[in-house]
Amino acid sequence: MPLSLLALSVALYVGGAVASVVLPERGASWTVAITGGFGALLGIAASVPVLIDGHAVTAAIAGPFPFAHFSVRLDALAAFMVLTISLLAAAIAVFGAAYVEEEYAGRGIGAMGFFMNLFIASMMLVVVSDDAMWFIVFFEMMSLTSYFLVVFEQDDEAISAGWIYFLIAHAGTMLVLIAFLLLFARTGSFDFATFRSATLPAPVASVIFVLAFVGFGAKAGMIPLHIWLPRAHPAAPSHASALLSGVMIKIGVFGIVKVGVDLLGAATVWWGVAVLGFGAISSVLGVIYALAEHDIKRLLAYHSVENIGIILIGVGIGMIGIAAGQPALATLGLFAGLYHLLNHAVFKSLLFLGAGAVISRTHSKDMGRMGGLLHLMPWTALAFLIGALAICAVPPLNGFVSEWFTYQSLFIAALHGSSLLRLVAPLSAVMLGIASALAVMCFVKAFGVTFSGEPRSEPAAAATEVGWPMLIGMGWLAACCVMFGIGAPIVAPVIRDVAASLGGHGIEVANNFVVFPGDTGIGELSTPLMAVLLIGLAGVPLVITGLFAGRRPKPRIGAEVWACGYAPDARMSVSAGGFAEPIKVLFRPLYGVRSWADGCFAATRPWFATIPASAGRTEQYWDRWLLAPLGRGVQALGEQMQFLQGGDFRIYCLYIVAALIVLLAVAIG
Amino acid sequence: MPGFGQLALAIGQAAALLLLAPLASGFCRVLRAKIHTRTGPGFLQDYRDILKLLKRQEVVPKGAGIIFRAMPFILMATLLLIAMALPVLTLASPLDAIGNVFTFICLLGLVRFFFSLSGIDSGNTFAGIGASREATMGALMEPVILLALFVAALLAGSTSLGQISTSFRSLSGGSIAAEIAVLFAVAFAVFVEMGKVPYDMAEAEQELQDGPLTEYSGPGLALLKWCVGLRQVVMATILIGVFLPYGAAASASFETLLWAALAFVAKLVCVFLIVGVIENSVARNRFFLTSRSTWAGFGIATLALVFYLVGL
Repeated sequence: MPLSLLALSVALYVGGAVASVVLPERGASWTVAITGGFGALLGIAASVPVLIDGHAVTAAIAGPFPFAHFSVRLDALAAFMVLTISLLAAAIAVFGAAYVEEEYAGRGIGAMGFFMNLFIASMMLVVVSDDAMWFIVFFEMMSLTSYFLVVFEQDDEAISAGWIYFLIAHAGTMLVLIAFLLLFARTGSFDFATFRSATLPAPVASVIFVLAFVGFGAKAGMIPLHIWLPRAHPAAPSHASALLSGVMIKIGVFGIVKVGVDLLGAATVWWGVAVLGFGAISSVLGVIYALAEHDIKRLLAYHSVENIGIILIGVGIGMIGIAAGQPALATLGLFAGLYHLLNHAVFKSLLFLGAGAVISRTHSKDMGRMGGLLHLMPWTALAFLIGALAICAVPPLNGFVSEWFTYQSLFIAALHGSSLLRLVAPLSAVMLGIASALAVMCFVKAFGVTFSGEPRSEPAAAATEVGWPMLIGMGWLAACCVMFGIGAPIVAPVIRDVAASLGGHGIEVANNFVVFPGDTGIGELSTPLMAVLLIGLAGVPLVITGLFAGRRPKPRIGAEVWACGYAPDARMSVSAGGFAEPIKVLFRPLYGVRSWADGCFAATRPWFATIPASAGRTEQYWDRWLLAPLGRGVQALGEQMQFLQGGDFRIYCLYIVAALIVLLAVAIG
Repeated sequence: MPGFGQLALAIGQAAALLLLAPLASGFCRVLRAKIHTRTGPGFLQDYRDILKLLKRQEVVPKGAGIIFRAMPFILMATLLLIAMALPVLTLASPLDAIGNVFTFICLLGLVRFFFSLSGIDSGNTFAGIGASREATMGALMEPVILLALFVAALLAGSTSLGQISTSFRSLSGGSIAAEIAVLFAVAFAVFVEMGKVPYDMAEAEQELQDGPLTEYSGPGLALLKWCVGLRQVVMATILIGVFLPYGAAASASFETLLWAALAFVAKLVCVFLIVGVIENSVARNRFFLTSRSTWAGFGIATLALVFYLVGL
C-alpha cells in the first residue's frame, strides 16, 4: 500500500512535468502546482504508515538490465526522507504557483515546471532505491535537473555557478560510483541487500567509506567541498533554492548515512570522528562566511553549510557510537542528526521562500537595497522571523530542540566515550556554540537590514504584500517550525524509531510533555511548558505597564530618530556590512582582511600616513588553495593531452585501428 | 511536569528576583557615589525612576516596527523564565524541565536576538551599532560560557542545573582544580554578561548614548531599565545559585528556605560589592581589543577541561 501510493506520487510528478512542457504557460504553472501538491500529499500518506509501524516495504521489478533489478525499499530512513521531501514540496508547490507567474512570466515557465517536478521525483526515487545502479541513475538525474534550475536565469552569474556545480556534482558522483563498483567487485551484485551482508576487510571498507564520504560530502556542501553551494543556490529561482538547500543537500547526508551506517555498518571509530570533525568545522566556518554576505540568498546558502555541519556532528556521534559498541549513544547521535535534518529542511526552505517573496518585490538580492518591509509586507516578515528564530536555535522552536539534542549527544559522548572523544566532544560543542552565537548575529542582521528601519531604495518603498498562495506556502512551513518545536514530545519518538533502526538500540526520548536524551537524569526539556510559561510571563510586563496606562498620555508614533541634533537620513541606519564589521575585524585571518595606508591622501600624507583602509575577500583561502590549483591542474593536464588531438583525421583513424587491435589482443589473450 | 510546590517556588523566586532587581541596581548607584565621594541618590532611586517612567508618554520613532515595541515585553518574559528555572534557594532547580545548561544558553540567545534586533528596528544609528556590539559580545562570550558549563556538567554527570549545584555543594566531581577553574570562568562570563563597565559595549553611555536603549521612552524604557537590572541579578544568581550553593536548602521546608534566602541575599550583596568595586576602578575596554580578554576567559575554561580530563 505505501509503495503504490509512492508510485502514484512519482507518477503525478512525472505527469505534471510532461504536461508542463506541453500546456500553454498559464496552464503549466497551475498544473505543476496541482500535481506537485497532490504528489506531496501522496508522499506524506506513503511515508507516515511506514514511520509509525516501522516495517520496511520492499519490491523488485526486473528492469531492462540483467545485472541490476529495479528494487525499491521503503524503510524507516527512506520514509523519513520521503516525508521531509514531501513536506517541503507541498509548500513549494503552492508558493511556486503564484511566484513563477509573477517573476518568470514569458521566460519558460513550462521548462521550469518540468525540471522542478522531475527534480522532486528523482529525489524521491534516490532515497527508496535499493540497488546501486539505479541509485546512481536517480542521483545523476537529480544533479542534472537541478543543474538546469541553477542556470535558469541564463545570466553570467548563473552560468558560471551552474558550471562549478556541474563539475563538483559529477566529481562527487564519480567517487560514489567508484565506491559502489568496489563493493560490486567484492560481492558480484549491485543489490544493496548483498552489500549489507558482505564482510569486507577493514582497509577496503575504509577506502569505500572515504570515497562515499567525499562524494556525498560534496553533494551535502560540507567544507571544504562547499564551494559550489554559495554560488549555485542563490542563482536558482527562490523556490528551487528552497528545494536545493532544503532537501537536495540532505540527500548527501542521507548518502553518508546510507553507505557509512546502513551498508558498511560504521565499522571503524575514525569514520565517525572524521564526520564529526568535518561537521564541526563546517558549522563554524559556514556561519562566519555567511556573516560577511550582503546578498540575502548567498547568506542563506552559507547557513546551509553551517547546518549541514550541525547535522554531521550528530551523524558522526552516531557512527562513533556504533563503532565503539555504545548503541544508546549511537541512536542518540543519529536521532539528533536526523531531527536537525528535518528541522533544517523546514526552516531553511521557509527562509528561502521568504527571501524569494522579498526579492519579487524589491528586484534585488542586495540587502542594502531593502529595508522598511516590516510595515509593507508584515506577513512575509512574520514568516521570515519565525524561520530566523528557528535557525538561531531560539526556544521553543524546532531548531532549538534538535540543537539541544546535538549538545546532549556530545555531552554523553564526552562523559562515557573514549579518551579521544572526551577531548573532541567538548571542543565540538564549543564550535557548535560559536556557530549558534554567530547565527544569532547573522540573522539579526538579515532580518534587521531587510525588514527594519526605513526603505533604502525606490522598489523597497513601493513594496506590497505578496499574494495568498505565497503566504500559504510560507505559513505552512512556519507552522511546521512551531509544531516540530513545541510538539517535540510527539515528534521525537517517531524520529527516534528511525534512528533506532540504524543504531540498533531503542532509547527513551519522550515522556508526556518532556523530552530527554535517554535518561532524565542527564537532562530534560519541556518545550510545551516553555511556550506556556513564556506566553504567561509576557503578561507580567503587560500588567505592569497596563496599571499606569490611564495616567500617561497616548504614545506619540512617528517621531524622528535621535541623530545628535542633525536631520536623520535612511542612509544613517546601520548597514549589512557595518553590522558585521566587528566580526570581520576579530576574525580577520579567516576573511583575509588586510590594512594598508590609503594612497589617496597624498597631499596630507605626512599627517595621515597610517590611515588604514581595509579590504577583504571572503573565502579567499579555499579559492586560492583548493579551487585555483585544481583548475590549473586540470588545465595543465588538458594541455599535456593536446598532442593526441592533431586535427588530422588519418591520425584519428589510426587510433581507432590501434584500439581495435589492443581490444582483440586482450580478448584473445 | 512540575508539581504545585515546585511551581509555587519557581514563581516565588522569579517574583522575588524581579522585585529585588531595582534594589540591586540602586545599590550599585549608591556604591558608585560612595567611591566618587558623592552623596548619591539612595537605594530606592531605581524604583522611583521606574515608577516615574511608567507614567510618561511613549515616543516611537518613525521607522520602528512591532519588534521595537514588543522587545521589552519579550525580554522581561524570558528573563523571568530563566529566573524561574534557576536553583536559587534550593539545591535542585524548581523546574527541571527548563533548568538545563543548554536550555539556559539558548534562552540567553533569545534575549540577545531581540535586544539586538530592536536596536536595528529603531532605525537609530547608535542603537544599530550597539546592536552589532551586543551580538558580537555574544559570539565572543559563547565559547567561554559554553565550555565552562559543559565541564561543570561533566563534573556533575548531568546537564541539569540542579544536579550541577548539588555536585558543587558536595564537591563530588572528583576534580577540585577543575571545579575552581570552572568557578573562575563562570564568574568571568557572568561579569561580562552583566554589562558592567569594562564590558558595557552595547550600551556604552558616552560612546553610543545607551545603544539599543537610545530610542526607548516612557513605559518601554521603564521595563528595559528594570530588565537590565533583572539581567544582572539573574546572572549573579547563576554564579551564586549554581556554583556557590552554600546555604541553599537541600529539602524545602519553611525554616531551611528562610536561611537559604538570607544566605542568598548575603551572597548577592557580596557579588554586587565586588562587581561595583571593579566597575568603578577601571576604564571601558576598547571594543576591538575586548576579544583579548575574552580569549583569556576561554583559556580558563579550557584549563578546567584539561584539569577535568587529567582528574586533578
